Amino acid sequence: MAETIIKVDNVSYRYPRTKKWVLKELNLEIKEGEFIAVMGENGAGKTTFCQCINGVIPHSQQGKLKGVITVAGLNTLQTPISKLSQIVGMVLEDPETQLFTTKVKEEVAFGPENLSMPVPEILERIRWALKVVRLEQYAERHPTALSGGQKQRLAIAAAIAMKPKILVLDEPTSQLDPIGTEEVFSVIRELKDEYGMTVVIATHKSEEIAKFADRVLVLKDGQIQAFDIPQLIFRNTKLMKDNWIRPPQVSELATLLEEKGQLLKGFPILPEEAIQLLTKWYEEGEA
Amino acid sequence: MRESVIKIENLSYKYEKGSLALKNINIDIKKGEFVGIIGQNGAGKSTLLKNITGLLRPTEGRILVNGRDTINVPVSDLALEVGFVLQNPDRQLFANTVEEEVAFGPKNVGLNEAQIKERVDYALDAVGLNDYRDAFPPALSKGDRAKVVIASVLAMGPQIIILDEPTSGQDYRGCYQIMDIAKEFNKRGHTLVVVTHHMALVAEYTERTIVMMNSEVLLDGSTREVFSHPDKLRMTHIKPPQITEVARSLQPKIPINQTILNVGEFGEKLIALKSEKGGNAVNAG
Amino acid sequence: MSVIDYYPGDSLVHRLDPRVKLITLIVVTVTIFLLSNFFVIAAFFLSCLMCWHIAGLPLNKVKGFLKFLLSLFVFLTVVQSLFLPGEHYLFKGFFSLEGAIFGLLLSFRLLTLICFMPLVIMTTPINKLALGLVKMGMSYKIAYMATTALNIIPTFQDETKVIMDAQKMRGLTVFEKGKLIEKFKAYPTLVVPLVIGAMRRAQLMGVAMDSRAFGAGKTKTFIEDISLQNVDIVALVLILILCGIALWVNFAW
Repeated sequence: MAETIIKVDNVSYRYPRTKKWVLKELNLEIKEGEFIAVMGENGAGKTTFCQCINGVIPHSQQGKLKGVITVAGLNTLQTPISKLSQIVGMVLEDPETQLFTTKVKEEVAFGPENLSMPVPEILERIRWALKVVRLEQYAERHPTALSGGQKQRLAIAAAIAMKPKILVLDEPTSQLDPIGTEEVFSVIRELKDEYGMTVVIATHKSEEIAKFADRVLVLKDGQIQAFDIPQLIFRNTKLMKDNWIRPPQVSELATLLEEKGQLLKGFPILPEEAIQLLTKWYEEGEA
Repeated sequence: MRESVIKIENLSYKYEKGSLALKNINIDIKKGEFVGIIGQNGAGKSTLLKNITGLLRPTEGRILVNGRDTINVPVSDLALEVGFVLQNPDRQLFANTVEEEVAFGPKNVGLNEAQIKERVDYALDAVGLNDYRDAFPPALSKGDRAKVVIASVLAMGPQIIILDEPTSGQDYRGCYQIMDIAKEFNKRGHTLVVVTHHMALVAEYTERTIVMMNSEVLLDGSTREVFSHPDKLRMTHIKPPQITEVARSLQPKIPINQTILNVGEFGEKLIALKSEKGGNAVNAG
Repeated sequence: MSVIDYYPGDSLVHRLDPRVKLITLIVVTVTIFLLSNFFVIAAFFLSCLMCWHIAGLPLNKVKGFLKFLLSLFVFLTVVQSLFLPGEHYLFKGFFSLEGAIFGLLLSFRLLTLICFMPLVIMTTPINKLALGLVKMGMSYKIAYMATTALNIIPTFQDETKVIMDAQKMRGLTVFEKGKLIEKFKAYPTLVVPLVIGAMRRAQLMGVAMDSRAFGAGKTKTFIEDISLQNVDIVALVLILILCGIALWVNFAW
């Protein structure tokens, strides 16, 4: 069994000058190498949760934080954000706000440079990170000259250049077209599979979640509604309705058939599963 | 035959830098249609919308709105006929209250107070923000901010409403509420044009879909017709909705014999097919 | 394309050390302000144009900017000739010739000065500019903030255009054909979304920079370091000598 890498212990948080707690007594553990999707409506606390893990809260975002968050054995409250940045990489929603240099290469170098790493080491990391996100040939380009999907992959490269164990992504594909979305997810998948990175991703894209996620965390009003494998999450019709989550269309179909008294021999969350189950279901009549 | 409200004839558009953004576009949109425009980023969708609304002017060809060539019509006049909701709501909200925000357009076009009030009431009612009249727009949720912007365009009283990626960055609730508002307006007789990357929404809501690729129109037809060309769509890196793909893969084992656009119709079709087959089996037995 | 964008190239001007360019800018600024001789200023102006040519910067890309300058200068000259007393007048007691000449000279000086600035900014990538400032003793946090601000200006220009488009769709016409007072009144429709957007952006950028250890230590490394080459030293010495000669000519003659 893999070790716990993120431990959230009774965590509550509220932003400065507000009364509302945006996270309420959260308790959970994430194992090393897991791919966790965070779902829920806008305003449910997904972004706040993401920023707690990488220490932006409470280090650069003031406010009231209660409870303890431990990443890779370190208490985020007591660890400077510069140290945390080497454990947790962060990718934000808007590609524009997280790219601030004038060259792709420089963008990736930014983090390691801030840590005063020796230049040869940084160059090696740039080479590696750009290779992982498949942007080697754009090293000398201006980041603004990239497409949306490429920009987000660059943001990933910039994050992983710090060689973090955990990658946190806050709705990284919500502004991308379908091809951009696919590119970003395939890169994240590779980081998990090849490099054993732990991934925490806030997203609404349930079809991708079904394909990649090990577990899904559903938040509502800063509280945990469910934290389970995608099959059980998407099957829970009430959970889906209460939290305005749209399951993958194949799951919706299975639920619909079930309501009409047509039971499949399993609950599909992926197209392949649906094809198999539906074929069986249809052929059953012949027997 | 319904009358044309937007007629685009041999439209080409070249940016100052010299790159061709639109190549020989011909589109005829009829009154009361609900049209989806899809395509990769950079395919020319936004440039097309800006040409229709007069924010950009055709390099070649012409655009007729309600039969009138728009070449010399000022943007503000055109805005009374074609409402354009730009992509990011935060790039236009400036007022202290929702009501003031929505009243801005009608005021600009010189309506009197009674007319303005009527327009504002109508628009806020249409987007369901009646209870938020006094709210400070930037403090609203992202979905509500988008609705304020839609209301502010509706208040101009346009017959045609164009939405540029209204669901980008929205959660599921936001997406569906916005599309439902669009659908409701379509029912009331308005012509709707929606640009989006959300294929499931296109399939569920629009009756006609235009696919753009490399500055040109690749496909233009009923949404069902367009989604029955997966190979062509793949050229533009568009994938039909998951359910459409699954239905296609099930053939010929299950004789669906049509392009499926949403979960509801697929479910019904499957149940009908199975009972039909069951019935046949009984008959044969 | 604007006067604050980096314009890639491999000219001599591009290759000069950013420190040399920054020092040159300071020295030239001071010199030009001291100059009063039309011909010496003209010499500076011509050498500036020559540098533009060497750097391969396209003059036509900054047309709008030059037009703006021109109108500013006409205004300056007219005002000076109106208010400066002199011996020769175009009309009885109005528009002094001396004032006009003074105005022209002032404009010319400003033009020369202003033409030098883009020469530095357009030929130096922002990161090199920051590096130059750091090596000249500025804290890298401040240098980075300053250059990032510069980097963001084009984004704001784009944003402004989008906001204007959106307001046009809501029937706002004053920015095209309104009176000054109407424009003034309509500014909130432009400025409010811009400022709110900028604040959101700044907040997120802060998060992104923190997440990548910005400001973690007192020092940082740079993958593209700069070091003074012989050509830099020669160029700097030459420029200092030329400025000295210019001042000597100006005051001795």
